[in-house]
Amino acid sequence: MKKKFHQDVDTVSEYSQLSAWKSASTSDRLNVVYGFAVVLVVAVSYVLGAFGWLPHDPEAMDLDTMMADPFTNGYLLGTDFMGRDILTRLILGIQAYFLPSVLAVFIALGLGSLLGVLSGYWRRRFETPVTYFSNLIDSLPRMVLMLLVIAAFRPSIYTIMVVFGITTAPTIAMLVKGKVMMLRERNFIESAVALGLSPGVIIFKHILWFNCRALLLIQATIGMAEAVLLETSLSYLGFGVQEPTPSWGNMVQAGANYLLQGNFWPSTAPAIAIMLTVLGFHLLGDGLNNILEGRQNR
Amino acid sequence: MKRATWMAAASVLSQELATTAALLLGVTLVAFLILYLAPGDPFAALLGGRNLSGAERDAAFEALGIPTTWYGQYLTWIAHVLQGDFGISMRSGQPVVREIFSSGIKTLFLTVGSLIVTLAIAVPVAAYSAMQPSSLRARAGTLLVYLFSALPTFWLGYMLIYFFTRKLGLFPILSATDETQEYGWLYALLPVVLLGLCNGTLSEIVRYLREEIARVMNEEYVRTARAKGASTWRHAYKEALLLPVSQIIAAKMPFVLGGAIIVEQVFNWPGLGRVTWQAALDRDYPVIMAITLLAAIVVRIGSFLHRTVYVAVNPRALQQ
Repeated sequence: MKKKFHQDVDTVSEYSQLSAWKSASTSDRLNVVYGFAVVLVVAVSYVLGAFGWLPHDPEAMDLDTMMADPFTNGYLLGTDFMGRDILTRLILGIQAYFLPSVLAVFIALGLGSLLGVLSGYWRRRFETPVTYFSNLIDSLPRMVLMLLVIAAFRPSIYTIMVVFGITTAPTIAMLVKGKVMMLRERNFIESAVALGLSPGVIIFKHILWFNCRALLLIQATIGMAEAVLLETSLSYLGFGVQEPTPSWGNMVQAGANYLLQGNFWPSTAPAIAIMLTVLGFHLLGDGLNNILEGRQNR
Repeated sequence: MKRATWMAAASVLSQELATTAALLLGVTLVAFLILYLAPGDPFAALLGGRNLSGAERDAAFEALGIPTTWYGQYLTWIAHVLQGDFGISMRSGQPVVREIFSSGIKTLFLTVGSLIVTLAIAVPVAAYSAMQPSSLRARAGTLLVYLFSALPTFWLGYMLIYFFTRKLGLFPILSATDETQEYGWLYALLPVVLLGLCNGTLSEIVRYLREEIARVMNEEYVRTARAKGASTWRHAYKEALLLPVSQIIAAKMPFVLGGAIIVEQVFNWPGLGRVTWQAALDRDYPVIMAITLLAAIVVRIGSFLHRTVYVAVNPRALQQ
């Protein structure tokens, strides 16, 4: 017979036999579905861009149809101020941020959970240095640090995203640390220690994998959203991917020059793409948070 | 207050000051090392791009009294800063302090104003969606907030400018330094509202506040208050509102400073963000170092204010 150990009344729902998905509310499920759809579209577009399966040549200028509205002359989303197909450039623009953002998120998660586990599991030894490190990074406004690094090294987008990952790590470290400290008090970790399991197994399997993966997944979605916005900000400041290579940020930026003349579309199309994507990541994070983390704690 | 309380407060304060000093040292050291390790020679740039050979350079350094080691240069910088001397901007030739002070005031107006806007939006939305998470209005409010923080800041800024200048014709496209016009005050408010709306942290703030309010509202003392018919907010506002809000102000200060860089660029706002951007473009080392230090100080002040509020709300924290 399968019998589960109950610690106290508050945590009983954690052992509910209903799957998290079934007990979730409709809006949470909608959010997650929309978020996953966005992730899917971005991933598929990335693959399309990587293999060059594009509807048009991204740099071919059609000087007869500049700033065309959607659905003109076979341009599904219209053309920009140089007569280049917007849809093609949107798909290809994902190349500019996708891999760097994933890299940034991995660095943030890796460094964050390392610091969090160190300071939460071996508090006496590591709490002070980790707190100092976190405070150090938090004391530097991220954008100022970015500009500092840019000023010094004129780096590629990858280096910038590495910096972004490092600056995001303290937030994740705080969350992981809180979780680890909470878990250390729990009986199953204590018994794992008493049974002589190695710290590696306890940390990686029982703490990080079984109890922190939801938290890390949610932080990953937020990190992706921030990375997309960061790329646009940097492009606006002139430090991002340079024309004619498309990125969503430099498309909005280049189109914005024509915005005050009343030509909205070349800048608005990528802005909408950014908005839908960032919104998707945020809603995915929110929905996952409610489904996997939030509701069970209440 | 009792003497013991004052003593405790003094010890907390001195602890805080020590942490701040250590952090400021660390931050400036990091910034200095990044700049020091950068390729290119600021000294050559000062000479108008003339590259000196190693021996000539050492001789010039010795003649000018500049230390050649990195720690020597760093310590010299600190010694100068402690005397209030931040050096001279390599671009404008002006003293850095003056440049930063005049633009800092304008950015202060922008950031403080935008924080007020952010909180004025975030607090009601978060409170409402924490109290009635499944109501339609709460969901619409949350979605709207998420939409705004998902938009590229500068795009929304251009749209606002277009709408107000071309559609409504309220003012010409000029910077905030323009002479007074009928709706000039409105133009000064636009960047404040824009930064408050979409500095990217609005959604984060709503999320955090919502969690906190929901958590506190489920606490037993709030339930007791509700059961005996007392006002729940009177019992909950300290923990559910005051603490998280001060926490947010402390934690989000750096992000608002970062967002200001974009907004100032869009609106030609002559503030610190533009100075930072310009300094990054020109590699204006003294200005960059001073801004880094200033930003770190502002962040530490924010965290100190949060600590103060925390102690005021929960005096037991002093006794530990």
